[in-house]
Amino acid sequence: MVSKIAMGLFTAGVLALGLSSAAMADAKASIEAREACMKANGAMMKVMVPVIKGQKPYDKAANDAAIAAAEAACAGWAGWWGEDTKPGGDLKTEAKAEIWTDPAGFEAAGGAYMKAVAAVKASADEASFKAAFPDLGKSCQGCHEKFRQADQ
Amino acid sequence: MRLFTRRTGLALALIAALGLAAFWLLSAPRPLTAADVPGHTPDLANGKILYHAGGCISCHQPSPELAGVENTVPAGGAPLHTPVGTLYPMNLTPDAATGIGQWTDLQFLNAVMRGISPEGENLIPALPYTSYAHMKPEDVLDIRAYLASLPPVTSPEQEADITALPLIRRGVGLWKWVGLDTTPWKPDPAQSESWNRGSYLVNGPGHCQECHTPRNVFMALDESRAFAGGPHPEGKGKVPSLRGLIERGRYTDAADLASALKDGEAMGYDGLASGGMGQVQRNISQLPESDIQAIADYIASLK
Ligand code: HEC
Ligand code: HEC
Ligand code: HEC
Repeated sequence: MVSKIAMGLFTAGVLALGLSSAAMADAKASIEAREACMKANGAMMKVMVPVIKGQKPYDKAANDAAIAAAEAACAGWAGWWGEDTKPGGDLKTEAKAEIWTDPAGFEAAGGAYMKAVAAVKASADEASFKAAFPDLGKSCQGCHEKFRQADQ
Repeated sequence: MRLFTRRTGLALALIAALGLAAFWLLSAPRPLTAADVPGHTPDLANGKILYHAGGCISCHQPSPELAGVENTVPAGGAPLHTPVGTLYPMNLTPDAATGIGQWTDLQFLNAVMRGISPEGENLIPALPYTSYAHMKPEDVLDIRAYLASLPPVTSPEQEADITALPLIRRGVGLWKWVGLDTTPWKPDPAQSESWNRGSYLVNGPGHCQECHTPRNVFMALDESRAFAGGPHPEGKGKVPSLRGLIERGRYTDAADLASALKDGEAMGYDGLASGGMGQVQRNISQLPESDIQAIADYIASLK
């Protein structure tokens, strides 16, 4: 009898705790997802840059696999920018406040990246890959210049 | 008991007046004089290199309202946000009315190397004269000659959005006693020629320390922690340390660092775009390969 009530209270307590930290967990998960997406982009560059520099032979399959991995890692992108993931809070992030004050600019930077990825994906041979790549590299730099801040 | 007598009142007024006089004297600019202007035949090619090393375009961008002016032309007027307010760094093209066409060499040297305007006012150290002060005056005159070779653009000067600007300029004059070190750059004979070239480019025109060296309580560069990184001077985020970049595995060697500085994030290097570094990197990429390597040799040696 007693134990039933106690159990009820206990569960309620756990639930309440769980609820209050759920938002926090969400924010943390969002930031971790952003970082994982970006790490996949970094890995994609590591596949492509040596080909551009002439240190490795062109390999369409390797490019496609790297793009697919980045696409998979970034699939949830649109849902990762909650107010509670802004810089200056409890959670460490390299995102810059301008993401929230200049949403149109942030979207445009994302658009430039999407367009460049599509062009690289569509390139069927070495020459067209090499022609498409510079815009991709510039799109990383372009977004980071405005919307990222170092936190080391 | 009356604590505040007529006598103490007078004494306090006197102290205040003396304080004010001292503030006025100490905050007055100390300019270069005609004797400091070297006899020099301008070298345009050198001027162009140092213009890029100095990163003048990063801050003297054309105002978005200037139609048809490319953003590689230092026509000025674009906003520069600083913790004290917004400045609109001026037109550096040789336009006679709105640019620096009519300036004398001495006026240019005083602005860039001492932070003193032709009107004799102290300039806000957002213009990194604290680093440019270490440059060779000949090099600064070469920058002037390069700027004079650009097509003139009409771009009128805009007043800064800073409250109590005249008082702040006086305050800057006071600050210069601790914040402005005018020692000319000196080579280290124990090091290679490339290292010394890098040291000059980094500590003089490149003004890398303005961001990468933390400041002490007087807001002066803390040379005991040179290049150790710290809070971003513009107030947002941080600036990484440039010490031990190779030892920490950020770059494999000085050659790798040189190609990072040349190609930046567009070629897969990370951590070279945000907080103004992207502009710096683009400016560095305009330098001859030997100069980029020299910068890398010097930076890679920082322990
Ligand atoms: C639309 C904007 C945008 C684009 C495009 C973009 N990034 Fe990012 N990147 C960010 C933001 C914002 C962060 C910081 C995320 C955070 O810490 O919350 C970041 C962080 C990173 C990081 C650090 C991740 C970590 O470990 O914390 C890497 C690496 C990175 N980006 C690589 C790339 C590469 C490579 C590209 C291009 C192929 C690219 N990014 C394109 C916005 C962008
Ligand atoms: C980090 C930003 C920054 C960089 C880099 C920079 N400037 Fe400036 N500059 C400024 C600001 C801000 C002012 C306005 C200062 C003020 O009004 O007190 C200014 C003003 C000037 C002035 C005008 C002074 C006056 O009397 O109005 C000259 C000349 C000048 N800069 C030349 C240069 C040259 C040449 C370079 C490159 C070697 C350069 N600047 C690089 C920010 C910069
Ligand atoms: C306007 C401020 C500013 C100036 C001036 C500046 N830097 Fe930086 N620098 C930064 C910031 C901020 C970062 C971090 C960028 C990021 O993580 O996206 C950085 C990053 C770097 C890095 C990468 C460090 C690493 O851990 O990989 C190098 C190398 C570097 N800077 C060299 C220089 C050199 C050389 C100069 C002078 C020619 C210079 N910087 C001038 C702000 C500046």
